[in-house]
Amino acid sequence: MTAVISAVKLSKWYGNVLGLNDVSLEIEAGITGLLGPNGAGKSTFMKLATGQLKPNIGTVAIHGRRTWNAPDLFRTVGFCPEPDAFYEDVTGFEFVAGLLRFYGFPKKEIGERAERALDIVDLAKDKDRLVRGYSRGMRQRVKFAQAIAHDPEVIILDEPLSGLDPLGKRKLIKLIKGFKDEGRTVLFSSHVLPEIEALTSRVVLVHQGKVLAEGDVPYIRELIEAHPHMISVRSSDPRRLAARFVGDPAVLKMTFGADGRTLVVETRNRDHLFAGLTAAVVEAGIEVEEISSPDDNLQAVFEYLVGK
Amino acid sequence: MTVRSAAREVFGFFFVLGRRTGRTRTFALLGLIPVALAVVARVFLRGRSGDMAAVSTEILMVFFLQFYIIILALFYGTSIAAEEVENRTLVYLITRPVPKPAIVLGKFAAYTALMGGMTALGLAASFFILNAARVGDPALWAAFFRYLGVLVLGILAYTAFFAFLGTVLKRAIILGLVFGFGWETAIQYFPGSTQRFSIVHYLKSLLPYRPGSGGGRGVALLLFRLEPTAPLLAVLALVGITAAFLALTCVLFRAKEHLSED
Repeated sequence: MTAVISAVKLSKWYGNVLGLNDVSLEIEAGITGLLGPNGAGKSTFMKLATGQLKPNIGTVAIHGRRTWNAPDLFRTVGFCPEPDAFYEDVTGFEFVAGLLRFYGFPKKEIGERAERALDIVDLAKDKDRLVRGYSRGMRQRVKFAQAIAHDPEVIILDEPLSGLDPLGKRKLIKLIKGFKDEGRTVLFSSHVLPEIEALTSRVVLVHQGKVLAEGDVPYIRELIEAHPHMISVRSSDPRRLAARFVGDPAVLKMTFGADGRTLVVETRNRDHLFAGLTAAVVEAGIEVEEISSPDDNLQAVFEYLVGK
Repeated sequence: MTVRSAAREVFGFFFVLGRRTGRTRTFALLGLIPVALAVVARVFLRGRSGDMAAVSTEILMVFFLQFYIIILALFYGTSIAAEEVENRTLVYLITRPVPKPAIVLGKFAAYTALMGGMTALGLAASFFILNAARVGDPALWAAFFRYLGVLVLGILAYTAFFAFLGTVLKRAIILGLVFGFGWETAIQYFPGSTQRFSIVHYLKSLLPYRPGSGGGRGVALLLFRLEPTAPLLAVLALVGITAAFLALTCVLFRAKEHLSED
């Protein structure tokens, strides 16, 4: 398969701040997720890929054409930006139709395309309301509508699911999956692994401006599983609980919380630890009030991967 | 899309959008101040046509030429690039098949059309209220269109200059204020060719007034050092200023990365 979006030794910095560092990437047709915590460089990559920024070093191209100052290229590219920014004094229809004018479609077709795009994102009923009065979810959807209204072959979506309710998310996920079946290329970013998992198995991990890993979701899961997890257990008798885990090969470290009721366990095998906790409750009658995982977030996994 | 056809589409989008903004409503109201002044003058100067003609000239010279078109051009001109960056809406334009110069040219055309409309409305209303007795006089109409032409040329030149400032600088308004109400005013009192380094010099050179030709105190002050440029040269200079700053703005806007604060 040939790459639709390709980056070669791509670097971008803002003054002294490094946005992207020596990234080489090939994105093929289908759905690819850019996964990384906030500030990882996902948006910078997307801005470079959509010609909003000029690389300091390296190149980024769509279908072999560099994206900086290449307006014709954007006839076949749709972009949904992350910021909640709009021309506020227009209606949803005027917003989408107004931007469709820039593709040279006849007036009638502009209206039809705008109507269709708004219908796809369930905004047909609200199309004549000012964008200023839209809810966060509606604003996110109209932003998505403008990205797809011209039927682009390449769709780049920066955090497209943020601000949507669960139903809205499900609909959008279904829609994006449909683009894959139509042979289009979708690149989207998220800092939430389950969102990426729901859309694709092809993931690029980005952190601190670098590509940490590329692969499918099971591989990423494996990386995450290898990461030592912190489990915090608040119970009536943390010392007795700790005694049960002494010598357990799955437990790397145990500490007591300052409140005298919390035991923090570091483990490489969460399932094994949870089984042990269940046994402690059932067999030893230790009352467990709360179980939480203080580092169960992507940032912790990335820090672990970087430090590895 | 060619630059021309894309600029036409940008014009259409921003002409509609521009009419709806609070800024346009505010400036349209501001443009009605001379109309109110004209009504007041008409009531108090009833039957004194010479005095009314003087008031009419004062309104044109002091309000429209020295204040209104400058403030309009400053806010609309600097916003051509800056508002898109500040509002983070530029992404919607530059990820379309639209050459960047077409964004500048289309917005420039849309905003100057809006400013021209607001100015023409205020000028026509105040001018004809004060000169109602002579409305059948062709010379009056000729004078009106001459004034209007001068103001439109002023809007074009100032807007192009401020568009350039807005593309180069992040906080262009302050420098624009210094230029529009500092430099442009102060330089008029300098003798010799120094005056030619201002836009207002060429605008005043196109007006039918000369020092000592009448008008109120304001007009006398504005004209007392004027060493006019020939009308044709003045028009060419204004067109040249407009074209040069627009071209510079287009080149810069295309070459520059437009980074928002975040």
